Amino acid sequence: MNQKELKELIEFLKEQDIAEFELERGDVKVRIKRATPNTSLPHDARFVAVPAAPPPPSLPGHAPVTPAAHSTPAPAKEAPGEPPEEALHMVRSPIVGTFYEAPSPGAPPFVKIGDSVEVGQVLCIVEAMKLMNEIESDVAGEITKKLVTNGQPIEYGQELFVIRPRK
Amino acid sequence: MVRVAGLLFVLSHVLPHNSAITKSPTTPVGKVSRAGAAAPRRSYQSDVRLGQIVRLLMDHATVVVSGTKISQQIGTTRSQVWRLIQQLRRLGVDIAGHPATGYQLRALPDLLLPDILAPLVRGTIFSEHIHHYYKIGSTNIAALEAATAGAPEGSVFLTEEQTAGRGRSSRSWHSSRSAGIYCSVVLRPLLPPADVLILALAVALAVKAAVEEIGANLKVDLRWPNDLLLEGKKFCGILTEMSAEATRVRHLVVGIGVNVNHSDFPASIEKEATSLRLATGTEWSRVELTAALLKSLDREYRNLLRKPDAPGSILRRFSQQSSYVRGMQVHVDENGGFDGVTESLDPRGFLQVRTAHGMRTVLSGSVRPKPQ
Repeated sequence: MNQKELKELIEFLKEQDIAEFELERGDVKVRIKRATPNTSLPHDARFVAVPAAPPPPSLPGHAPVTPAAHSTPAPAKEAPGEPPEEALHMVRSPIVGTFYEAPSPGAPPFVKIGDSVEVGQVLCIVEAMKLMNEIESDVAGEITKKLVTNGQPIEYGQELFVIRPRK
Repeated sequence: MVRVAGLLFVLSHVLPHNSAITKSPTTPVGKVSRAGAAAPRRSYQSDVRLGQIVRLLMDHATVVVSGTKISQQIGTTRSQVWRLIQQLRRLGVDIAGHPATGYQLRALPDLLLPDILAPLVRGTIFSEHIHHYYKIGSTNIAALEAATAGAPEGSVFLTEEQTAGRGRSSRSWHSSRSAGIYCSVVLRPLLPPADVLILALAVALAVKAAVEEIGANLKVDLRWPNDLLLEGKKFCGILTEMSAEATRVRHLVVGIGVNVNHSDFPASIEKEATSLRLATGTEWSRVELTAALLKSLDREYRNLLRKPDAPGSILRRFSQQSSYVRGMQVHVDENGGFDGVTESLDPRGFLQVRTAHGMRTVLSGSVRPKPQ
């Protein structure tokens, strides 16, 4: 398990609000115990890391958030007009499937260009084999582009929306 | 199927007159413990006592149990017991007796109560968190809400009656009271979303195995991706809803609707719908079939998580057990619609159809036989 996988694991545990986790695979052993606001653990320092596992980066409570995809660039010379390209966030499809902009045929679309969206807001559905995948926004901001049309087949990782993150 | 527009995300609140039976909270086992992620809070009354009464009467099936004894055992008054007995009777549980004489079951009830089901699925991921409703909008919506609120993997949502059962593209699912199995389960596979797709096929195999385990001579066909057919008519549909990021699945809700003891269907769907009872001429035990189904699903799911060759096995078995995978003249309702002859499943599980303009891959459309 590398540093990146470990980070992802910690993010997952945080998001799912999982307090304790233990994994043993071959000679790798990982054990994570998180302190949470509503549980006071008198001895949480003891379980932070065990040998044989790479030391997880500063665990208890608030593990560092992995840098977001829309990393704000170092404040360079302000380009007048157009926001810098890096400031825009791309929403991609996690699966192959058919793109649906609305919850049902004929219903208004989940979002349209110019809409302001929040984190976790449903943007569209991608369906494959009667498995409906709701794609949620992972940033708050404004929809500036829709790159696919309703009913279109899309590939894994294909770009669906462009969002300008709110400052 | 009847089309009902706009249902998909509107019915997020179940009806106020619902009552729910929820198994009392159990201590989490295994090595993952959750902090602060309690079972989803429900706004309507939860009445575990109905299940307790049935359990009590089942445990003493040969004798009359007095109202006093029941009231002591479940910690309520005798008049409450009478009220609960009346409620059970309205649900079709055949109970003899009245407050003066005591009560006795005339027949084992075929209700999908957690107290009845849990012992039958012991050892599976589904035995600990079974939720039962008498009436609900949709078990998928209940399961999705609960999953978002942190419901653990293996949570099961069952109802006697759905008022807004859902199918693909917001088609409704005809859900008569206590005639079918309306079941949704919460899964949290530690797999990338792309690797989870094949579960859509595995669930169909699981339900088919369960049906054939009970109805030994039945010839169940699978219509890609996961409809179950008897004599060309559909009796089971599966709708999976996933919440995922690019690299991982947050949760997955698998909704399974089985027409079990329906004796008829609305005219609009009778040509394409059937039930196990209509196809076999006998009543089926929903409890038995639900237990077989959950055990079978548990098996497929564990294999998918643990065995590297599981996807290959799923594709191979699906291809063997479905008449739709190879050599069928079909019409596909996708991307404007097209006709062709089915060729095979691709490695991801998508259906390959040979058309006049070359091979096409069906991602999500419905596939129907086309008369030549």
